[in-house]
Amino acid sequence: MTSSNTSDVLSYREAIFQTMHDALQNDPRTIIIGQGVDDHKGIFGSTMGLLKEFGPHRVMDTPLAEEGVTGIALGAALNGLYPIMTHIRADFVLLAINQIVNLAAKYKYMFGGRFQVPMLIRVVVGRSWGQGAQHSQSLQSLFAHVPGLVVLMMSSAQTILESYPYVIRHHPGPVIAFEHRLMYDLKFHMGELRMNHSPLTSFRVRTGKDVTIVATSIMVMEAVRAADHLAKHSDVDCEIIDLHCVSHPDTELILQSLSKTGKLVIADTSWKAYGVCAEICRLVCEKAPNMLKAPVVTLGMQPAPCPTAKSLEDMYYPNLRDLTDAIATLVRGRSDHGIPLPDEKSMADVYKKFKGPF
Amino acid sequence: MKNHSFPEFSLRLGAFAISYQFNSDEMRPTVIGGESPRWINMKRQDKNSSLYDDLFYKALRIRLFEERIVELYPSDKIQSPVHLSIGQEAVAVGICQALKPSDLLFCTYRSHAYYLAKGGDMPAMMAELYGKATGCGGGKAGSMHLAAPEVGLMGCSAVVASTIPHAVGAALAAKIQKQDKVIVAVFGDGATDEGVYHESLNFAALHQLPVIFVCENNGLAVYSKVSARQAYSILKHAGVYGIPTTHIPEGYDFLKVYETFAGIVAQVQRTRSPHFVEVQTFRYMEHVGVGDDYRQGVRSRNELDAWQASDPLMIRKDLAAKYTPIIQSEIDDTVRYAEASPWPGRDELLKDVI
Repeated sequence: MTSSNTSDVLSYREAIFQTMHDALQNDPRTIIIGQGVDDHKGIFGSTMGLLKEFGPHRVMDTPLAEEGVTGIALGAALNGLYPIMTHIRADFVLLAINQIVNLAAKYKYMFGGRFQVPMLIRVVVGRSWGQGAQHSQSLQSLFAHVPGLVVLMMSSAQTILESYPYVIRHHPGPVIAFEHRLMYDLKFHMGELRMNHSPLTSFRVRTGKDVTIVATSIMVMEAVRAADHLAKHSDVDCEIIDLHCVSHPDTELILQSLSKTGKLVIADTSWKAYGVCAEICRLVCEKAPNMLKAPVVTLGMQPAPCPTAKSLEDMYYPNLRDLTDAIATLVRGRSDHGIPLPDEKSMADVYKKFKGPF
Repeated sequence: MKNHSFPEFSLRLGAFAISYQFNSDEMRPTVIGGESPRWINMKRQDKNSSLYDDLFYKALRIRLFEERIVELYPSDKIQSPVHLSIGQEAVAVGICQALKPSDLLFCTYRSHAYYLAKGGDMPAMMAELYGKATGCGGGKAGSMHLAAPEVGLMGCSAVVASTIPHAVGAALAAKIQKQDKVIVAVFGDGATDEGVYHESLNFAALHQLPVIFVCENNGLAVYSKVSARQAYSILKHAGVYGIPTTHIPEGYDFLKVYETFAGIVAQVQRTRSPHFVEVQTFRYMEHVGVGDDYRQGVRSRNELDAWQASDPLMIRKDLAAKYTPIIQSEIDDTVRYAEASPWPGRDELLKDVI
């Protein structure tokens, strides 16, 4: 890791850029390939200027051919390169699902371990400012379902600095990393980087005794805000686990926490059915159903395609108020818990930097 | 027969250097790989005659191997869907003769012929068809996912057209890393129906990559005929990308395929840019399995008869008679090897997933 001298505060975008830059600089076999990686916007700034520094063979724009280019990345990996692919919206990766699910996920196992196809596929989940049905999907469970794939959801600048360099340097197979567009502009306080073990796991980000909150991506940040609010306005003490490696979560960490709190909230960025919420429930039901002192509470997107109208979109995603209320209700055991909830202003405050169109 | 010791090949796969060491093993039968026995060539005075015999031998070896599969299939010892190359061997033999082990090949589910022609280990292939631990894929691959990276066969996929972009990507890596190898994508006429085929040709032409696209046109996608699927001419369509094209109508003629393809390889080696080859060929058997599809009305047997009238493996009975015993003996050994090999155990079930 060359970026140990990070400043105290770093934006999500800056963290991604730093890891992309370092990846190209540290290994001549690394290439970045995807639509728009070399243009003047550089995938929301995450690849900006890399073309000039590393040249068009290392930073390649592509035709609009997601399946073909994913297959090309796989072939390049078979012949010695480390490709980093980008999809500026996670929705577009569906066009490449044949190569990812039928080929990349199976290339090692299917041939008896004779090949490895190390590659990183970055996909950006959109939200807000009318992203609508096809610019907003958070498809982590689709990929985490398939053996052979590693699926990451970075909840902060720090987890990016911990995950991308590790994956690029050490992981021998395909990794799909879900970045969240709303966090690109947010500044994160940096703790000490946990570089002494694999980041392909889950992390405890807050210690508490009353309730376990398992969250993904931006919902980790919302969970921290909810926990801070509850700590300020009540004695509700939240423990938060950033699931992070959605495909390979740290089940022990979750069960340890649950053995202490007995109460579980799962907050995911996607739909609840057949997704992260369902999967974490499966793990708990199979391994330690007796730990639960109350029914599990799940939060996710409404079971519909994403609408564009702000009035509908505001109802579509679980917000800080919903989350805080759900936690308080679960811990108190009743909905009239009496704890004041965050107001509209404080809820929107953190996102005020995000202004469309994209 | 002289015992064959395999050299060590080192391949860089992904970010990892992997060495393959092939040692002669007491348990294994003598393997002659893709090469005909040396004594055969030594007898030849005429160089062309020697080459013809060599190619004939290799094609016959593939046919007899697959005919053994047909024989064994009713026993259920091979529990893997087989897509036989019988009738198409000459294409694989001619193409692979023009390639070096370092040249990379990406194929399809119908690749028994390419595996053997490129120099893949026959006992490891038979063991793979049997699902044994000693198979080239450790019993996880079966007939449809053969691979022999030690000789440049980089994988076979059961999803039509899905390995075409892999060849393009390997060629991109060759270009970026200034390797002098040539990459070959083999696919059928059905693959040209797919969108990813178009995406791959475009990218290869756009970036001028050292990849040769080989379309084996047997006129059928499962049972669907080209005329029912394609509003385009395959060669004209490929030419639209500015890729030079070559048509080889005589897909039964391994010498013709080899000579034409060797010229193309030399050209691609020199220009470091793509080429497209369409070879007409004929699938004698049905799409999958060990039967045929003539009685079902898919094709007329007259078409088969016409093609077989040009098939050297059927015409040159003298050469067939001469080489069959030694090849059958080799196949006998591989069958014994496969049958004696162990099954993969539980420790293999979850190995190599990520």
